[in-house]
Amino acid sequence: MTETPSAVRAAKPWAPYVPSEEAPWNLRRVVHLHRRAGFAATWSEIQRDLADGPKASIDRILAGKACSQGVPEGFSKTAALLGDAAAASGDPARLKAWWIYRMLFGPDPLGERLALMWHNHFATSNLKVENLDAMRRQNEGFRELARAPFGELLNRTVHDPALLIWLDAPANRKGHPNENLARELMELFTLGIGPFTEDDVKESAQALTGWTLAEDQFTEIAARHDSGEKTILGRKGRWKGDDVVRMLLEHPATAERLAMRICELLMSEGVVSSTEQHALAQELRDNDLNIGRGVETVLRSEAFFAGRNLGRRVLGPVEFVIGAARALELFEPPSSTLVLAEWAGRLGQDLFYPPNVGGWPAGRAWLTTRSLIGRANYAAALVEGTRVGRPTALDALGLALKHGQGSDLDPVTGFYLQLILGIEPSPAWQKRLTAALGSTNGNKAEAARRMVALVMAMPEAQVN
Amino acid sequence: MFSRRDFLATTLRSSTLLALAPAVPGFLAQTARAAKAEKDSRILVVIQLDGGNDGINTVVPFADEGYAKYRKALRLSTERLIKINDRVGLHASLGDAAKLLESGRLAIVQGVGYPNPSRSHFQSMAIWQSARFDPEEHRSFGWLGRAFDDGAKIAAGETTSLLIGSGPPPLALRGRRAVASAMERTEDFALDSKIDPRRTFSGVTPSDDLTAFVQRSMLDAYSTSEHLTHLGRTSAGQANYPSNGLATRLQLISQLLKIGFGARVFYTVHGGFDTHSTQLPRHSELLFQVSSSLRAFLDDLAAAGLAERVLVLAFSEFGRRVAENSSQGTDHGTAGPVFLAGAGLRAGLVGDTPNLLDLQDGDLKWGIDFRRIYATILEEWLGLPTRTALAGTFERLPLFTG
Repeated sequence: MTETPSAVRAAKPWAPYVPSEEAPWNLRRVVHLHRRAGFAATWSEIQRDLADGPKASIDRILAGKACSQGVPEGFSKTAALLGDAAAASGDPARLKAWWIYRMLFGPDPLGERLALMWHNHFATSNLKVENLDAMRRQNEGFRELARAPFGELLNRTVHDPALLIWLDAPANRKGHPNENLARELMELFTLGIGPFTEDDVKESAQALTGWTLAEDQFTEIAARHDSGEKTILGRKGRWKGDDVVRMLLEHPATAERLAMRICELLMSEGVVSSTEQHALAQELRDNDLNIGRGVETVLRSEAFFAGRNLGRRVLGPVEFVIGAARALELFEPPSSTLVLAEWAGRLGQDLFYPPNVGGWPAGRAWLTTRSLIGRANYAAALVEGTRVGRPTALDALGLALKHGQGSDLDPVTGFYLQLILGIEPSPAWQKRLTAALGSTNGNKAEAARRMVALVMAMPEAQVN
Repeated sequence: MFSRRDFLATTLRSSTLLALAPAVPGFLAQTARAAKAEKDSRILVVIQLDGGNDGINTVVPFADEGYAKYRKALRLSTERLIKINDRVGLHASLGDAAKLLESGRLAIVQGVGYPNPSRSHFQSMAIWQSARFDPEEHRSFGWLGRAFDDGAKIAAGETTSLLIGSGPPPLALRGRRAVASAMERTEDFALDSKIDPRRTFSGVTPSDDLTAFVQRSMLDAYSTSEHLTHLGRTSAGQANYPSNGLATRLQLISQLLKIGFGARVFYTVHGGFDTHSTQLPRHSELLFQVSSSLRAFLDDLAAAGLAERVLVLAFSEFGRRVAENSSQGTDHGTAGPVFLAGAGLRAGLVGDTPNLLDLQDGDLKWGIDFRRIYATILEEWLGLPTRTALAGTFERLPLFTG
């Protein structure tokens, strides 16, 4: 493992990555980049980026053009139609499938990962909202403003029906306070625990009175607004709802929380020092809380490509489900997006239904008994085909052959370890894998398929 | 009798996987901890009787003149009732419940309700589940979710409560932080392929903490899965569950308890109680299902040495009107009986039997606020605070012997 001396890191956090002997631009790092900033690359995309070098590869990801394979013609139009139909159908399963479609076939996996990050940040569940159109509108906002200055996203989201219903805004009226929105606005969407008091929550709730919905649209009713003087975060005034949002955006703790979110998305557990997080927060503050800018800084950094950041982040369920389908080029015929959404739910991430206002408990908490068994079952289902709604099984030998591998089990195993983990196995490891496969009665195609499932189920494939 | 420690010892010995594991698997470690702990190792199983159970024909006040006055087609003959005392008898289908009563494992709280009762299924159920009356508070959090938020140290992502059944966890379990999840079948824990990633482990304990964690979790998960599959194969012979949906779900809860699954509350719904017409056969069948499943469940737990840790609460969103309707059924009413089952209870009837001649708008007057039952369970059984959960303090009921 390579370590940058901590003194150097502290002096220049997020210094740009320059390939070196200890951190070369190699297969491992290309796979790492696509897993963190997307779902996973296909073999051709990996080879393309290996040849093009880090700058061109990262440029493509930031520009939303990372995928050269799998994106169908007329994707945006199809996606919009699917979204409309799902919202109109009243069937939540179809809205989940719509998002899966976007993640699996869209040209901008980073955009989808960011949308997922915002879905978790503003964790709104249709369990209470019960309005697919509102859920979809919120989700489109997450996508459209995924890389925008955070103020634009926050303002759009807090004026959007889904969140207002979710946090009981209509129930918050003069003389009848409901603190739900005020509390989560501070604790979860901006400041985090610490910088505010219970009094701040109470007075912010008063400032937010009058915010409500009429015919599924945000509206402010003056008669329900408590126009008295409030003290919020030490500032006195006849504050209204938008003043609260503005004050929270200006607060330095908000930038810290956003920096934390970006690091959670892109960095391994425990590798980001507080100096690095502060530095990222400072950069966000200097740039109008521009999220795209923060993401770019991290993706281009030495810290992002450092050895200590490789393979030390637990893969979330949606990443796991989509990543495998993409890496294995299961585009035509495709898996059923409905079924893939179900799998993600079974593995612990039911889209549009986060478990509570805090979102999904990420990191190690993803790896429960049920989800680990589920991941192995998903791997088996994916290669088998019918249980993910594909008429045919994965042609694991064919895919390896297409990319220049022989049809013997050893090179095939090597190919999939490189494709999925970015690692070339040691002979001893390879031997254990072959032994773990069990007997396949000399059926090479079946052995190759089973090997893919085994690689996906291994501990090493639960992290990236 | 088989003690909890014996149970643990046997389980540990029989776990062939222990040899493979770097440490005691987490699911067993959890059970081992639980054996030492007190209130925080106790389990609550909630059975929601959906639709509004006819309490009057469940715990029958046969000596009340009002019974014969208001129940004609639906009147149960006194001879067939299982008498509890000279005024009250259980429906004939509740034979197993009567046995639980005799063996000191069942308490029946009579006349349970709340002020200004709602006769809407949806609203009344929301009131029972949230312990709040303001409809604006009926979409957020429930009494158990709030109690866990307030009183339990919850590790990130740890499931505090589990719905056994389809669909999302009910309002009662939802909290701001408390994690409720749902599970329908043991198949969720069953491996459907022959691949075994444990065999790819090198045998050397990994030097980095995350990889070691993933390996440990995987050993845990796979041994839990094997354990559960094994239990599923063998428990059919050991415990005698009737064949109905509720029994299947209770059996699944029992299996989860046996492998030390960490949830504190298990929740399940048994529907069909909305008996507006030809009520007698349907109601009789439902009561038989509940009573026989409940007894099988408690007997199963007792045989596994788990009886001391489990309390069952069965409730319905309302009782039914005292006077039957013209379709040999009953319409939505108010107060009804609540059932508590398990060890450590003061068995028998609790509270006054509702008076069928002293009605309000044709409905029973309630005698005990349901929140008193909740308060007693939270404080005396689960060791959780009631203040936020119930938005107030309520006088406890003498439900437990301890």
